[in-house]
Amino acid sequence: MDLFKKYGFIALIGTGVFVALIFYSLNVPRNREANVIERGVMTVFAPILKPAERLSRFFEDTWDGYISLVDVHRENIRLRDEIKELNARVVAGNEAQKSNQRLAYLLEMKNMVKAPTLSASVVGEDVTSWFRTLIIDRGSTSGLRDGMAVVAADGVVGQIVKVAPSTSRVLLLTDHASGIAAIIQRSRARGVVKGKEGGLCSLEFTTRDEDVKVGDMVVSSGIGGVFLKGLPIGEVTMVKRGEYGIFQTVTIRPVVNMAHLEEVLIVMRGGYE
Amino acid sequence: MLGGVVVVAVVFQAAVLPIHVATPFKPDLLLIIMVYLALRSSFELGTPLAWFLGLLKDVFSGLYLGLNAFSFLLVFLVIKSVADRLYAESGFLFVVTVVAATLVSVTGNLLLLLMFTQTPGIAYSMVAGFIPHLLVNSFAASLVALLPIFSRDQDVA
Repeated sequence: MDLFKKYGFIALIGTGVFVALIFYSLNVPRNREANVIERGVMTVFAPILKPAERLSRFFEDTWDGYISLVDVHRENIRLRDEIKELNARVVAGNEAQKSNQRLAYLLEMKNMVKAPTLSASVVGEDVTSWFRTLIIDRGSTSGLRDGMAVVAADGVVGQIVKVAPSTSRVLLLTDHASGIAAIIQRSRARGVVKGKEGGLCSLEFTTRDEDVKVGDMVVSSGIGGVFLKGLPIGEVTMVKRGEYGIFQTVTIRPVVNMAHLEEVLIVMRGGYE
Repeated sequence: MLGGVVVVAVVFQAAVLPIHVATPFKPDLLLIIMVYLALRSSFELGTPLAWFLGLLKDVFSGLYLGLNAFSFLLVFLVIKSVADRLYAESGFLFVVTVVAATLVSVTGNLLLLLMFTQTPGIAYSMVAGFIPHLLVNSFAASLVALLPIFSRDQDVA
């Protein structure tokens, strides 16, 4: 009994190993066929394996998708940054191109004006709606004086008023207080361009018998010495001659778009001391 | 702090807003500040400040220095004379006062311009632009009334 207790366990293990070896050796010749055990186990596991595989694949896909999403998200952020940078470059390029174009036009005007000129940038506008003035970044330290003429690439803008050391204000020709001696380019009819409502001007003191037609170009007459002769002011958009009265009513649309002015030229002559 | 607010208002009104809003829709921020002062500040402090705010507006507007200074002073004195009888902390009252102040200020300016200058045509521009100006001012005033500083129960002085 003691002997069995002593070697029984080893004998059992040895028998088991032997049986396993026999089992293996018996199955070696039929290694391509499923035996009863194999078939039974496979049959039992078949219904579980399929959903388990699907579930596993689902988790794998989810995980891969998540990892991919993280990558895609990172890539998305990087691409967005790149797009922003490229957009900023495009905007800067367009801005430079437009600025270049504006300055080229301004340079043409500078060459046309037979007097020394100084360029200035518009830095502000009148704070009320009914006065028409601009603030520019040049003042008395740049040699500006009240009354000097201000022009843009297209034509007359107005006159310098209220000069400070480093800024000045420009009274636009569309302001009610503005008055510029002018002539109709075609017929040489004279008048004074004054500002009126709606960003328009009127040609005043033009007698009824003067030849003025819609579409005529109005230019500065040079009288008064502020504006050089022949600078474009605007185009006649309406002519009205009443039955009575000495003068005709002439409405002018300025050639310069005052709402979008960014750079102007100051004609450095004349002005009040 | 008031100085900073005034500087910001002037810069905003002269250089920032004109780029983004059409000319008739410019709010009068200095007038709104003046109305705020009239409702909240003391008479001694507010009176010269109202005149100064108008003067500041004149520096950045038109040709006539002293025009808005006068009308601002006038409007301030009128509001101040009744402010003690009003519930000055009310946002609605503030907006109504700004509307009234805009009306009085524009009318005062128009009369002064017609009396002292040779610009009769400006009356049309002022009348035509008055309604948008009034609406924008009341809108800006309503925004100011929403600011936390407005609901603080303390005087400026």
